[in-house]
This record gives sequence, C-alpha cells and structure tokens, in this order.
Amino acid sequence: MRNLIIFIRRYFNFFLFLVILIFCLSLVLRRNDYQRTSFINSANSVSGYFFRKYNNIQYYFHLKKVNDSLASLNANLLNQLPVDFASPDTTSAVQTDTAGKRQYRYLPAEVINNSVNGLMNYITLYRGSDQGVETGMGVVGPQGIVGIVRRVSPHYAVVMSLLHKDMSISAKLLNTGNFGTVKWKPGSSGPFYGILKDIPKNVAVHRGDSVMTSGYSAIFPPGLLVGYIEKVNELSASNFYEISIRFATNFRSLQYVYVIENFKAKEQHDVESTLPHE
Amino acid sequence: MSELLKNIIRFILLILLQVFVLNKVMLHGFATPYLYLIFILLLPFGTPTWALMIYALLFGLCLDLFMNTPGMHAAACVVIAYLRPFVLNLLSPQGGFETVKKTPSVTSMGWTPFMTYAIILVVVHHIVYFSLEFFDLHNILLLLVRILLSALVSLVLIVLYEMLFAPSRR
Repeated sequence: MRNLIIFIRRYFNFFLFLVILIFCLSLVLRRNDYQRTSFINSANSVSGYFFRKYNNIQYYFHLKKVNDSLASLNANLLNQLPVDFASPDTTSAVQTDTAGKRQYRYLPAEVINNSVNGLMNYITLYRGSDQGVETGMGVVGPQGIVGIVRRVSPHYAVVMSLLHKDMSISAKLLNTGNFGTVKWKPGSSGPFYGILKDIPKNVAVHRGDSVMTSGYSAIFPPGLLVGYIEKVNELSASNFYEISIRFATNFRSLQYVYVIENFKAKEQHDVESTLPHE
Repeated sequence: MSELLKNIIRFILLILLQVFVLNKVMLHGFATPYLYLIFILLLPFGTPTWALMIYALLFGLCLDLFMNTPGMHAAACVVIAYLRPFVLNLLSPQGGFETVKKTPSVTSMGWTPFMTYAIILVVVHHIVYFSLEFFDLHNILLLLVRILLSALVSLVLIVLYEMLFAPSRR
C-alpha cells in the first residue's frame, strides 16, 4: 500500500496529465453527437455576448455589401409577385389558395460570428430556441445555402457551415435534374469551392450550370441555389464525373441569413422511418 | 506589477486577440497563426507541473468556448504544459537560469535557448491541434503543410511579441 502511494506521488504529474488529456479527448470525440449537447460551444451567453459586441462594430464595414445583397434579393422576390404576370384572359383566373398548405417558413437571423479559416467552420446566429430555431433546420443566405443548425440555446444558434469537412448535402443540376452530393473542398482554394459527386458520365454538364438543392432531405426546400459548375473532371476509372463547383454564397461577408423551418419535416421522417432497414 | 496580475491580463488579452484578430487571418489558405500559446511559454519558471496543466486546461477550454472546437485547443495546451518542464530542463545551463528574472524570456534565457524552447513547444502544439482537427490520415500532405506553415507564422509572431514586450536587461 505504501509503495503504491509512493508510486502515485512520484508519477502524480503524469497521471494528472493522462486524466486531463482523456477529459479533453472525450470532449473532442463527443463533438459529432447530434443529441448530446456539449457545453463547450459558442451558443452560450458569455461568448454570445462578446460576439454580439464585436459584430456591432464590424457590421458597419459590410453595410454596402449587405445592402447590395438584400436589394437583389428584394428584386428577385418582387419579380415573383402575381401582378407581374399579365394574362390576356381576364374572365377566368386561377386562384392559388395556399392556406393550410404552407410547408416552409423563413426566419431572418443575424450572423454574429463566422469562421471560414478552419476545417470545421461554424456560424453563430443571434436567434435561438425561444424564437423557434431547432437543431436540424437549414440555413440559407441571400445568395445561396449556408449550412445546417447543429446546436441551439435560448437566444443563440450554432450553424454547421457548408465549409465543414463532414458536411454533405444533396444537390441536383438545374438543367437535367440529375442529383448528387456536394461537399466542401478544403485546401488552398479558400472558402469558395466544393465538389459535386455521383453525376453519371452520360449527362451533359457545362461550365456555369447552376447546382440547386434537391429537396430530398427535408432540410432545404428544392430549388435553392448551391453554386455554379466551375470545372468538370472526367475520372478515367469511374462512371461518374467529379465536378468542382463555386459556391453561390460568399461566406466571408455573411450578415443576415434565413433559418428554414419545414412544417412537414417530422411527418417525412416518421413515414420514412417506418420502412424496415434491410 | 505582480506576476499574477500580469498573467491574468495576458490570459484575457491573448484570448481576445486570438479570437477576434488572428483567427480571421489566413495566409494563402493554409496558415493561421496561433499566438495564444505564448501564455503557457511565459508562465513563471517556478510553477509546478500540475499547476501548469490546470492553467493550460482552463486557458484551452476558454478558447474552445469561442471557437467551437470542444477539447482540441485544451488538449494541445495541456500537452505542451506537460512537456514544458522537460524542455526547460534540457535547455537550462548548469546551475539553472538566472532566477532574478522569474519568467522564461529572451533576456532571461538568451536567444538560442529561448527559440529552441519555443520551436519545440509550438511544433508539438500544432501537431496535436491539427491532428485532432483533421482526425484522419488520408490527407496527410495537407496536414503536414498546414502544421509547418502555421508553426512558422506563429513563431514569427512569438519573436515579434518577445521583441516588443520582453523585459529589458538592466
């Protein structure tokens, strides 16, 4: 017994080191758990407070860009108003009754922290569970999609950015409708490029084609812009292209985004989970 | 100013500097400077190893809180806090460093020992941190490039920090 105590005292530092290191590594390994909320994330009130203060200052430097993107978004929406579509037949009109059929709702949110430099980039929003944000909701910016909500606190939400090495979303080509997966390509190209996979080689793809969300995942509605095709690589050993795309969203200058609430997400998950897993 | 107060101020300022300035820097898409670990390098000579590790843990967790990297900075900080006494022992001349100056710095150690000390710990820190961030080995070249370039930039900043703030020899 005495020897044991002497032994432990002698190597006390080493044991303490091991204990602390195991604690840290367990935090690292738990980061991918969807449900268990880790307390080390920026959706807490302390870092939220600092990020909000910082953002209040930094915000002024981006006002022009924010205005431009909001104005172009407004113009897009104005062009979809019913009054823009004149019809020669004024005696009968199609009434579109949308009551009770709404599937998606967009909640505006302010970006208070944003990183683009790491391999796992997250965005903090000043809008949380008290304002209706839940984990698993999609986030879209004025130019294109941004990410998926991973953690919420009463007033803040942390969004896993598209610029995250574990992020992949389902996307399709606007022209042909073929769908594949989009992942970020980290490296020297910075926060601009991704890779679209699983598009078969018999499909005609061209530089500049739009890549949209497919709407299969219940997170994003179909038809939101993901990016544009930049370069098409034909891999000789595979039947699929490897297409590099340029993201529509400029992640460096995000100020306002929209969190997408899908009212039918639960229903879709429930009916999909009734299938036996074989 | 007492050493304790100095270290508390350094703790807060280095976290704010790292989170709000240095994290926004990315040179050529590879290198992000991590100056914050100079906090652990500059803790006083006499600090016992267990205290070094506790300080490193707290410091790392505070950074993780801001950066959404649970445990990664904390693990890297604790590893260099544990290694620090060994490295200092290796580098210390016979009879130890001048004890008048209580903290490791260019003036108390001299340029060559201090730079060796900084290089070893910065490289170890970056290896631990970036390996945890990547967490797989199939992109090992990118991992090595990032470690080397980031370590280089961090070291340049540490040298600048020392030139600006190191206590002058009297």
